[in-house]
Amino acid sequence: MLTRHRIALLAATIVAGLGFGAARADTIKVGITFSATGPAASLGIPEANSVALFPKQIGGADVEYIMLDDGSDTGRAVANTRKLIDENNVDIIFGSTVSPAAISMVSVAAEKKVPMIAAAASGAIIAPMDDNRHWVFKTPQNDGLMADAIVENMVKQGIKSVAFIGFNDAYGDGWLKEFTRSSKAAGIALVDAEKFARQDTSVTAQTLKMIAAKPQAVLIAGSGPAPALPQRTLKERGYRGLIYQTHGVANTEFLKIGGKDVEGTLLPTGPYLIAEQLPDSNPVKAVALDYKKRYEDKYGAGTASTFGANANDCERLFEAAVPGALAKAKPGTPEFRAALRDGIEGLHGVVLDHGVATMSPTDHNGFDTSARVMVKIENGAWKLLP
Amino acid sequence: MKPLHWLALAALAVLLPWLPGLPLFWVSLACQIGISAIIATGLVVLTGVAGMTSFAQASLMGIGAYATAVLSTNYGLSPWLGLPAALMASLVVALAMGAVTLRLSGHYLALGTIAWSVSLYYLYANLDILGRNDGISGIPPLSIAGWRLIDIRASAVVIGLGLVGAMLTTRHLLDSRWGRAMRALRGGAVAAASVGVELGQARMLAFVYAAVLAGFAGWLFAHLQRAVNPTPFGLVAGIQYLLMAVVGGAAHLPGALLGAILVVLVNNALQDWLPHLVGPGVNAETVVFGLALVLMLQAAPTGLWPLLARKSKPRHHDVTAAALPRTLMPAQGGVALQAINLQRRFGGLVAVADLSFTLYQGELLGLIGPNGAGKSTSFNLLSGVTQPNHGRVELGGRDMTGSSPQDMARCGIARSFQHAKLVQSLTVIENVALGTHLRGAASPVAAVLRRDRAEEARIFAEAAIQLERCGLADLADASATELALGQQRIVEIARALAAGPSVLLLDEPAAGLRHAEKQALAALLRQLRAEGMAILLVEHDMEFVMSLADRLVVMDFGTVIAEGRPQDVRRNPAVIEAYLGGVA
Amino acid sequence: MMDTSTLLALVQDGVVNGAIYALLALALVLVFAVTRTIFIPVGEIVSFAALTYAGLDGKTTPPVLALTMGLGLVAFLRGAVKARGRALMILALETLGLPATVTAIVMAVVPMQLGIVANAAIAILCVAPLAPLLYRIAFAPLAEASVLVLLIASVGAHLALSGLGLLVFGPEGARGDAFSDAVLEMGPIILPGQAIWVLAATLATMIGLWAFFRFTLAGAALRATAINRRGARLVGIATDQAGLHAFWLAGLIAAVSGVLIAPLTTIYYDGGFLIGLKGFVAAIVGGLVSYPLAALAAIAVGILESFAAFQASAFKEVIVFAGIIPVLLWRSLRHVSVEDEE
Repeated sequence: MLTRHRIALLAATIVAGLGFGAARADTIKVGITFSATGPAASLGIPEANSVALFPKQIGGADVEYIMLDDGSDTGRAVANTRKLIDENNVDIIFGSTVSPAAISMVSVAAEKKVPMIAAAASGAIIAPMDDNRHWVFKTPQNDGLMADAIVENMVKQGIKSVAFIGFNDAYGDGWLKEFTRSSKAAGIALVDAEKFARQDTSVTAQTLKMIAAKPQAVLIAGSGPAPALPQRTLKERGYRGLIYQTHGVANTEFLKIGGKDVEGTLLPTGPYLIAEQLPDSNPVKAVALDYKKRYEDKYGAGTASTFGANANDCERLFEAAVPGALAKAKPGTPEFRAALRDGIEGLHGVVLDHGVATMSPTDHNGFDTSARVMVKIENGAWKLLP
Repeated sequence: MKPLHWLALAALAVLLPWLPGLPLFWVSLACQIGISAIIATGLVVLTGVAGMTSFAQASLMGIGAYATAVLSTNYGLSPWLGLPAALMASLVVALAMGAVTLRLSGHYLALGTIAWSVSLYYLYANLDILGRNDGISGIPPLSIAGWRLIDIRASAVVIGLGLVGAMLTTRHLLDSRWGRAMRALRGGAVAAASVGVELGQARMLAFVYAAVLAGFAGWLFAHLQRAVNPTPFGLVAGIQYLLMAVVGGAAHLPGALLGAILVVLVNNALQDWLPHLVGPGVNAETVVFGLALVLMLQAAPTGLWPLLARKSKPRHHDVTAAALPRTLMPAQGGVALQAINLQRRFGGLVAVADLSFTLYQGELLGLIGPNGAGKSTSFNLLSGVTQPNHGRVELGGRDMTGSSPQDMARCGIARSFQHAKLVQSLTVIENVALGTHLRGAASPVAAVLRRDRAEEARIFAEAAIQLERCGLADLADASATELALGQQRIVEIARALAAGPSVLLLDEPAAGLRHAEKQALAALLRQLRAEGMAILLVEHDMEFVMSLADRLVVMDFGTVIAEGRPQDVRRNPAVIEAYLGGVA
Repeated sequence: MMDTSTLLALVQDGVVNGAIYALLALALVLVFAVTRTIFIPVGEIVSFAALTYAGLDGKTTPPVLALTMGLGLVAFLRGAVKARGRALMILALETLGLPATVTAIVMAVVPMQLGIVANAAIAILCVAPLAPLLYRIAFAPLAEASVLVLLIASVGAHLALSGLGLLVFGPEGARGDAFSDAVLEMGPIILPGQAIWVLAATLATMIGLWAFFRFTLAGAALRATAINRRGARLVGIATDQAGLHAFWLAGLIAAVSGVLIAPLTTIYYDGGFLIGLKGFVAAIVGGLVSYPLAALAAIAVGILESFAAFQASAFKEVIVFAGIIPVLLWRSLRHVSVEDEE
C-alpha cells in the first residue's frame, strides 16, 4: 500500500514537473504547501496525493500545480509561501495542513495580495475578519460547527456532564474552546478538561482523573489513530459512559487500530465520510463519491480520507471562481488574483465534498449545518445517524 | 576587520536587497539566513568560545518574539518599543535560567537547556496571553516615519543591519578582557581563576549575551513573520541553530554566518531538487541533509570555516601605552606567605599531612621532595584551588584560609601550573593579557561598545613587556598550541607576572627547558627577587633549584622533613634518606 | 482529591512507563560511556521495532529489512575505503552477510506464523542491527572528535533515520498485539498482562547486562573502555570493537523496548524521539555512568510524569523537564569544583 502511495506521488510530481516545462502565458499557477512530512503527515499525505487528481484545465486555461512540503513546520510553510509567490508567481495558494502554519501564512498572502485557501481547521485562520484575512479562505469545517453537533447530540441523549481530553496542540485547543462555549450554552457541565499528546505512551493518569469527575460522557479531541488510546484506557478502567470523538479520527487507521475498543463511538464529520449512506437527493453525495472513486482508482480501495477531501475542496472552490476571474483579467496579474479572491468570496451554494458552501465577506468558510453529520462506529464501520 | 570594512558591510546590507533583478525569494532566504546567523553568533560565544552547549536558543528567541508580539499586538505599542522589551525580557529570563542552570557542568548543562527548551515550548503552547498553540497573529510590521516595512526587501535591510551589528558587537566582546575570560572557560578555567577571573560571571556573561542575541533575533522574526506560535521555538529548532554553528565552525565568528548560509541554502536546494527525483512526501530532504551533515563532520570536525580561513596576520603591539595600575610591592623582607599546619586529605589518602613554612618578600624559597610528596597539592592549597581540611594560609599577615583562587589573586598571588594550562584558542600574547584581568576595569557593556580601547592598549603593552622580559617576544602572535612544552611554562610565568603579583608560585618552571633557556629563566627569577617579589619554587631539577633558592623546604609523605639553606639541606640525613632511601 | 487506589494506579502507570525509559537509559549510558556519543537515534530504533512488530501479519516481509540491508551496504562502502584483506572480509560479513542472513531467516519464518513471541524476536532481529551499522557509518570515523561534534553527528543520524522511517512505515501509527490479554486484578491495582511483560523484560535485560559485564571478556573490555578509553587501548583492547559491541547492545535493548511498548500505545515513525529523550533525562540524572542509578532515575521520571499528567496534564512535560533541573543541580554540585571541560 505504501509503495503505491509513493509511486503515485512520484507520478504527481512528474506531472507537475512536466506542467512546469509547458507553462504558457495564460497558465494559471497554483502554489500548494501541504504537510507531507512531520507530525501532521498522516493528514498531509492524502492531501498531497489529491493534487494529482486536480484538473489540468479550467475554463479553457491551463492550470499548473506547484507543490511543496512544509514538514508541519510554521517557518517552512511561510518560506514556501514566499517561494511560491516570488519564485513561481502563483495566482493562489492552497495550504497548509496545520493551523499554526496556516495562520502564519495569512500575513504573507495578504502582503502579496494572493488569495489563499487553507486546508487546516482552526477558526483563527479566517476570523475575526480583517484586512489580512480578507485574502484567506478555508475548507475544513469550523470546530464550532462540529462542537455544536456534538452538543446537540448530547442534549438529545440527556447528558448533563462531560469530561474532555484533547491533544496538547492547536487542534485540541480549538476544540476545548469551542466545546466549552457550546456546552455552556446548552447547560452541560464540563467537569474536567485534560490534555494528552499524540506520542504519549500512557494516558492512565488523565483517564483516572476524568473518571473521578464522574462524567456521563467523555469527548476525546485528537486526530489520526492516537485518540484510540484514551478510549481504550477508559474501557480498561471500567468507564461505561458515552464516548464522543471528533472528525479528526475520521480515517480508516483509527478504526483499524481502535478495533473493538471504539465500537459505539459517536462523532461529527463532514458528509464525505459516509457519502454512500446519504440520500441521493443530497447534492454532496455525487461530488463526494466522484472524488472518492477517482482517488481510490489511483491509490487503492479504502485509501481515500476526509483530509484528502479537504484538499479537493480547496480545488473545487478555486475551480468555481476561475471562469469569472478569467473573464476579468489574465492569469499572473494582480487583477486576476483580486478577481479570483472576489470570485471565491462571491461563491453561493457551491457543492463540495464536505457540504454546500456559501461565502460572504465575513464568512470565508461558508459551511452551514449541512456540512456535518453525526456518525456512530458500528461493526468497525461508520454509520450515519439520522 | 577595520571599521571601514564593517561600514561597507552595513552599506551592503542596506543596498543589496534593492539590486534590480534580484529575485524576491532570494531576499526572503537572506532574511532567514540573517535571523539564523544572529542566533548562531550567540552560539559561537556560548558554545564555540565558552564551551557550553545550549539547545535552548530557539526557546530564548521565543521570549523576545513573544515579548514584542504581546506588546505590539495586545497593547498596541510601537514595534520599536518592542525591541528594548524583547532584549530586556530575554536578558531577565536568561539571568533567571542561568542562575539555576549554569552551575551545571558539561552534559548536565546541555541537558538542562533541553529541559528548559521543552518546558518553555509547552508554556508557550498553554498560556492564554500568548495565544496558546495558535499563537499571536496580526503583529504590526516595523515602520519608519509612517512607512510600514512590509516589503521583504525593507525587512532584509533591518535584518542585515541587525546581523552586522550583532557580529560587530560580538567581535568587540570577544576582543576584550571579557572575551579572553570567556575563551578561558574552555580548557583554561583553572588558570583563569588563578588570575582572578570569576568563572561564574564569565559563564553567565556568555549565556546572557547569547540569549540577548536570540531575543533580538526573535524580535526581528516576530515583525518579519507578523505571526508567532510555539513551533519555531521548540527543541528541534534549537538543535537546528546549534547545528548551524557547528557546521560553520563554532569557534569562529564567521562560522555562524557560514553555517546559517549553508544550512538554509542546502535545505532550500534539497527542497527544490529532491522531489523531482524521488517524489514528495518521502522526506528525502531530511535523509539527505542528515547524511550530508554526518559526512561533513567526518571531513571537517571543527566546521567549515577553519578550512576557508587564512591565518591571521600578526598584529602590531604598541608597547608605549601607559602602564596599568598595580598594587605597590610590599617592603623587602616582610612576611609574604605563611602556611600554618596545613592538612589535606582525599578520602583516605593524606596528600598533605602537616605543612608549615614562611615565605618573605624578596626571597626565593624552593619546595622540593620526591614524587608524591604532596608538593602540587600544597601549591593548590596555597593558591586557593583546593581548600585545606586543617590549618591556615596567611598572606601578608591576613588570614586567607578558605579563600577562592580569585581572592588569592586579588591579594597578590600569581602562579603557574605543572601541566601548563594555556588557553588554546588564544595567541601567546593574549594568554599573557589574560593575566591582567584584575588590573583592567572595562565592563562587558564597555567592551561591546568599544569603550575599552585605551585600557586594552595598556593591557597589551603590559603583556608585551612581560613577554619581552621572559624572552618570548618573538612568539607573541603564535598560537598557544604551537609552543614547545617548556615555552608554554614560560608563557605561564609571563601571564602570572602580568597580574602584577607580589607573591609568585611556580610549579616546575624549568622542566623541558634547554640549558640556555634555564639560564635565562634563572636570571629572570633573580631579577624578580631583587625587585622584592616573593617566589615559591617547586622544582625537580636539583641543580637549578640549589643554585637559585635562598632557602629550601623539603617534603616527604605530606610533611616537612627539612628546612634551611640549600647547602645545609643537601647534607641532611633525612633528605638523603627520602631521595635515595626508596632506591637503596 | 486523590484516593489510595488512584495513587496506586498512578504509581503503577509510572513504573511501567519508567521501565521503558530505564531500558533506554541503559542503552544510552552504555553507548555514551564507551563511545562518548549521545545516541539520539535510539528513539528511531524503538519506533522501528514497534512498527515492525505491529506490522507483522504473517504475509508481508517486514519493510524495515530493506532499510537494514541498505544501511549495511552504506556501512560496507564506508568501511571499504580503509579496510583491506581480512578486515575487509569481516566487514563484508558483518555489514552485508548479516543483514542478508537476517532477511533470509525472517522471510522463511514469517509465513510460519509462530505466534507473538516469535514475532517479537523477528522484530528485534530486523531492527537491532541498525545500531551497529549506524556506528560504522556515522560514529566510528568520528571516534576522536569532541562530544559536541558527536552529538551533532547523532542529530544528523536521527534526521536521516526519521526521514527513512516515514518512507518505510508511512505516516500512520500502528499498535501491536499484546503479549497477553490477561488482566491481573489485585484490589485497586489493575495490572494488564502487557505491564507485567514490560517489568519482567526490563528486569531480565538488566540482569542480562549485569551478567554480560561481570562474566564475559567482551563485557570486561566494554567496562574497561568505559572507565578509561586510552588506558584500555594501551592494554590492547580494540576500542572501536568495544564501540561496536556497545552499539549492538544498545540496538538490542532499544528494539526490545520498542516491541514492549508496541501494544501499549500507537507508535508513529517519529514517536521514539520523546521516549528516547526521557530515557536520556534518566541517563543524565544517573550521571551517564551508573546503570542502577539511571534505572532508578528512569522509574522516578515515569512516576513524576504520571503524577504530573494527573495534576496538570497540559503542563506535564513542563513539570517533568523543569523538575529534573534541581536534580541536575544537586548532582552537578556534588562532584564538581573548578573543572576544565574537554
